[in-house]
Amino acid sequence: MILSPITRERIFGLSLLIPCFLFITVFAFYPIAYSFFLSLHRIVIGLPGLGEPFIGLENYRSLIHDRIAIRAFLNTLVFVLVSTMLEIGIGLVIALIINRNFRGRGMVRAAILIPWAIPTVVASQMWRFIFNDKYGLINFLFFGSDTGSYHAWLADPTAAFVAIIVADVWKTSSFAALLILAGLQIIPDELHEAAKIDGASAWQRFWRITFPLLRPAILVALLFRTMDAFRVFDLVYVMTQGGPADSTNVLQFYGYKKIFAEGLMGYGSTISVLVFCISLVISIIYIRIIGTRLFRQT
Amino acid sequence: MKGFRYVLSLVLILFPLLLIGGCKQDTGQETKTVIHFVTWKPNIPEAWDEILDIFKKENPDIEIIREIGPHSSTAFHDMLTQKLKNKSEDVDVFLMDVIWPPEFGAAGWAMPLDELFPEEERKKFLEGTILANTYKGHIYGVPLFIDSGMLFYRRDLLEKYKLPVPITWKQMIDTAEWIVREEKRQGNEIYGFTGQFKQYEGLVCDMMEYILSNGGYIIDPDTGRIGLTEEGTIEAIKFVRDNIIGKIAPKGVLTYQEPESLDLFIQGKVVFHRNWPYAWEVSNNPQKSKIAGKVGIARLPHFPGHESVSTLGGWQVGISSFTKKKEAAWRFVEFLTSIRVQKILALKAGRAPTRKILYEDPEILQLYPHFKEMKEVFLTAYPRPRTPLYPAVSNVLQRFFSRVISDPSLDIKKEAQSASEEIKKILALQDEKR
Repeated sequence: MILSPITRERIFGLSLLIPCFLFITVFAFYPIAYSFFLSLHRIVIGLPGLGEPFIGLENYRSLIHDRIAIRAFLNTLVFVLVSTMLEIGIGLVIALIINRNFRGRGMVRAAILIPWAIPTVVASQMWRFIFNDKYGLINFLFFGSDTGSYHAWLADPTAAFVAIIVADVWKTSSFAALLILAGLQIIPDELHEAAKIDGASAWQRFWRITFPLLRPAILVALLFRTMDAFRVFDLVYVMTQGGPADSTNVLQFYGYKKIFAEGLMGYGSTISVLVFCISLVISIIYIRIIGTRLFRQT
Repeated sequence: MKGFRYVLSLVLILFPLLLIGGCKQDTGQETKTVIHFVTWKPNIPEAWDEILDIFKKENPDIEIIREIGPHSSTAFHDMLTQKLKNKSEDVDVFLMDVIWPPEFGAAGWAMPLDELFPEEERKKFLEGTILANTYKGHIYGVPLFIDSGMLFYRRDLLEKYKLPVPITWKQMIDTAEWIVREEKRQGNEIYGFTGQFKQYEGLVCDMMEYILSNGGYIIDPDTGRIGLTEEGTIEAIKFVRDNIIGKIAPKGVLTYQEPESLDLFIQGKVVFHRNWPYAWEVSNNPQKSKIAGKVGIARLPHFPGHESVSTLGGWQVGISSFTKKKEAAWRFVEFLTSIRVQKILALKAGRAPTRKILYEDPEILQLYPHFKEMKEVFLTAYPRPRTPLYPAVSNVLQRFFSRVISDPSLDIKKEAQSASEEIKKILALQDEKR
């Protein structure tokens, strides 16, 4: 059989896609589909005698009425909003600074990335020490040797939640900065120079040139950070275990608890599916926005 | 060039398969039987090193690989059950908290040891520990050491102010407040009490002791009734919230597990401390503790008109149902729970033995004169609800206790009602089966 060169090219192209496709199928599609399958069943690890009956959307129905899940959902939402906003804001500032020419810039650029390079579990453990009520650095900074007024940050529902946000912002602002910096570097210097000649102030140049051209990069950073923030787990796991009084309980951690601590495989999977769906919706919205924007530019 | 392209694509297709194949274990020649022992990070590592060295010397054909898990029982449970759920071969022998055997037995993770651990052998152990390992007529673990909540106190401070060891919780509060005030006047900043009040399993243990010593209960073992809304229960919780958290105990106890709370005690910063018996060894070890030789131990206080109650704790050794090395695993379990190893654990790590005979051992009694008395506490220590769904029940309890003790604005009764509802729902699953 003789195939035309174009067909052969096409077959070749497709065959190159197979490994990637297989990889995604095994490591992404299959687990997602399986989670969905599990979420339609009642599976209690501690009671194998119950079997694994199919119960339709029963788990989803209980999820809607689960006040702890609702609380965890709200916690997650607040966490996502506050932490991404701060991260993008701080990331933008960092990116603008390290985009300038100054002595030791290389060093600073490398140093900025350190928080992001530290594994989250290690960083969380570190922050747990920093917020410790007896020998934590934060207490020392605020109160010095006046140990009497040392505050138990992680014992206070609101302060514990803030502590988690602080740790997350510290850790991932530099990641946002990195993405934004990449966006900054593709802005041609000529635009700034021309604007300068036309008499535009630094402030005007930022809002009229830098910011509009930076939007796609910011959106990409926003997309990554929102999705990551939605799946926050390790910080909570290490720093507070969801306490005190569930104030830092987030959806992913709650789902983990349900599956791995309580052995409710079906119900826990329902929570995972919910987190997946929310992330999916968010990313579709973002990609739509970024996509059209990029399209308009070309 | 074409040929090269096809080779390239073939490589790219085969590459992931190679990766998957590469995950398989190397089946090299092995003369030793490897036993994976899942354990936590010990409080006194030297004792465990010594024990494992002895085993190594006496059993050159078995190699023990320790898989160290988290210190918190809850986190350890999550890790271990995840491995067992996946029928992992990295688990042969594991430690089990006293609350797990029903779950591990029902789920088919722990191997029934009925034949290896016969009736007459079981009689040599404290009854409570055997009961804790038995579920539906099968035994799933061998008790390694027993725990029960004890009150540790600064003997030197009580003597200094000529105050007696408190019998009731109220007395403990008064004594603590007095000493803290007097010490402060002398420029010595200390706290009255520390215990375990973080949102985790230890919180349930600690709270149970207040509740039961006030005539309240959590789940009645005979009737199955949930007692969270009972008067005695609510009163006890209210007492903890209003008199302990942020009062005689620093507010930080809401983030403390055993190590953190003990830390403050051995730094000489606390008058009273609730912990398991191992704290005796740590707090009297001059290398670790600033208060060595100044520590007293007593039964926990109670509320007026009631008895003092200690939560039954302790750890068991179990064998995974999925192990392929049953014989070697049992040899290791038998060794770990033997008289001499329990004695090492008692002498060097302060762990209270589960074998009755060791409570008459002169060497142990010389080092721990209080063990004789503690045997009584151990015999009456109160077990937590025994059900394969305990982890789920415990999570509800942890959440409930953590909420009401850390937020004084909450109505305890209302919270107790919704927690009871949730527990009822969980336990209903169990009845469905029958």
